[in-house]
Amino acid sequence: MALAACAALAPLARAADVDVRGWLDCRLVGRADERSYADGGLGKTRFGGGGVDATCAQAGVAFDAVLAPALAAHAQLQYQATGRDEASLLDAWLRYRPVSTTPLRWSVRLGAFFPPVSLENDALGWSSPWTLSSSAINAWVGEELRGIGAEGTFEWRGERSTFAGVFALVRSNDPAGELLAARGWSISDLVSGLGSRVREPDAYARDEDEAVPLRFNPFLENDGRLGWYAGASWETRGVGTISLLRYDNEADPASRSRGTSPVLSWHTDFWSLGAQSRVGDVVLLGQAMSGSTAIAPSPFFATHTDFRAAYLLAARDRGAWRPAVRIDAFSTDQLPRSIDGRVREHGSALTVALNWRPRAWLRVTGEALHVRSWRNQRELEGLPAQRDDTQLQLGLRVIF
Amino acid sequence: MRVGLPAMAAWVCVSSVTTAGELDVVVVDLHGAPATDAVVSVHGRGAPPAREAVTRAIDQHDETFIPYVEVFRPGDRVVFHNSDRTRHHVYSFAPAKSFEFVIAPGGETPPVVLDRTGEIAVGCNIHDRMITHLYVSDAPWIAKSDARGRAVFDALPAGRYTVSVWHPQLRPGKAEPEQAIDVGGEAASLRFSLPLLADPRPDPDDRERTRY
Repeated sequence: MALAACAALAPLARAADVDVRGWLDCRLVGRADERSYADGGLGKTRFGGGGVDATCAQAGVAFDAVLAPALAAHAQLQYQATGRDEASLLDAWLRYRPVSTTPLRWSVRLGAFFPPVSLENDALGWSSPWTLSSSAINAWVGEELRGIGAEGTFEWRGERSTFAGVFALVRSNDPAGELLAARGWSISDLVSGLGSRVREPDAYARDEDEAVPLRFNPFLENDGRLGWYAGASWETRGVGTISLLRYDNEADPASRSRGTSPVLSWHTDFWSLGAQSRVGDVVLLGQAMSGSTAIAPSPFFATHTDFRAAYLLAARDRGAWRPAVRIDAFSTDQLPRSIDGRVREHGSALTVALNWRPRAWLRVTGEALHVRSWRNQRELEGLPAQRDDTQLQLGLRVIF
Repeated sequence: MRVGLPAMAAWVCVSSVTTAGELDVVVVDLHGAPATDAVVSVHGRGAPPAREAVTRAIDQHDETFIPYVEVFRPGDRVVFHNSDRTRHHVYSFAPAKSFEFVIAPGGETPPVVLDRTGEIAVGCNIHDRMITHLYVSDAPWIAKSDARGRAVFDALPAGRYTVSVWHPQLRPGKAEPEQAIDVGGEAASLRFSLPLLADPRPDPDDRERTRY
């Protein structure tokens, strides 16, 4: 039987085109003063607590295989060394995309994938090719969002413009949104993998009479409901691309996971609007997100948090030297206003990066990130709500 | 690129012409940098003798079509080679010609006859950022600009010509830039400054971007 199976698969195996690429990111870090969210603090940056140190922050490997001309497989594994050492699967999917000799083309993806929110993160490990730290929007997408299910895409490809539509049914993302409510936004490249347990702020854990450190898995299915997203994009040659996405995890806000430490379901929905254009070698990106997340764990308590964020990025996309600058703005607002000590935040960030790519396998990036934020949750720790913090990084990415 | 025309053939085809001239066309972008792969078409009185149909090859190497632009006459054929270790799935849905072929590593397609004029964009359905352009034209004289942005036409019969330029990075839907010039005993030259869009091909040295 095994021999027969091998014989049947042999032609497929011979024909397969397999590409394996790995990456290693090492950093010299000038940490921000406030304790990082990755260590249970309320700091907005990946590295906090002050001081300077060197770390190999992450590594990973990406597998791509052409199983048949229309069938591709993709998976990425990562190792993260911030907050807690952890190896995890970032994404894994199969894509069927038959060739079309008409302007119409369709495809289907099955597996676990990032919802197509980000315009930034098209590099290995869902990182940004322009900066070390992702925008507030995409830092959150990388931490808490993953679609596990099926996604269909169709494209109409004209001479001047291409129009694309996407629709997906996904599951296992019911706690998504909790970080925005319990901790707020971050400016970071700490991406979660399937099975990752992200950390709540210690201030939140103590407020909820929970032991510190408090972690949860954002990729759980609690209620058996399917979530969905739908989007459209329009690209005009020489002008740019505009894309709109609606996401709703359809989580039952009264549901929770089973077990001794149940994880609540957060009903999270948002709109995301993005635009991309290019002037010569300079790429211009802009994204905005507006949504809400809500829980109703008992008939006597329900809470709802509105969240908004946006960024503008300009970066050179050719040549060995690639500078980039990005401005972020973000806010959250917990409702109803009658909640005692309701949590709110607002802030902005400036990221300036210079990338040097002397070889195809090497990227050296210097980045300065300054975050100004007001979050009243800091007062629970006896800290002022207003913070100004700066994180400096010199990053070395080796691709092999 | 230099396009030659035997003096005898020119005499036969354009009997009223007694002198011949050279036309030197330089194509640059708006910053003055040479525009490689521009297709320069020359229309005027007469035409060189028709040549036999030929077969031209487009290679695929490092997930890049080589060349980026190739010029064909109606009736010419194209063959796609695959010099990579990965399969490619070349296709086109252009009105002038639609086709699709899966090409194994080291393999090639059968010849495809390009019988209609027009621009044929060709992609790979596996590696979406690969692109090449087949430009099929019946213009009397035609050439592709070289690395210095030059296309030279030798021994044009004396007369007035209209010269137009096409480039894959011109904004689609716009008329091709066009200039008129008199060609006589002395060498004539023309310069085109084109508002080129960004090159859509990926940076071959960028191994960091996802490929599929």
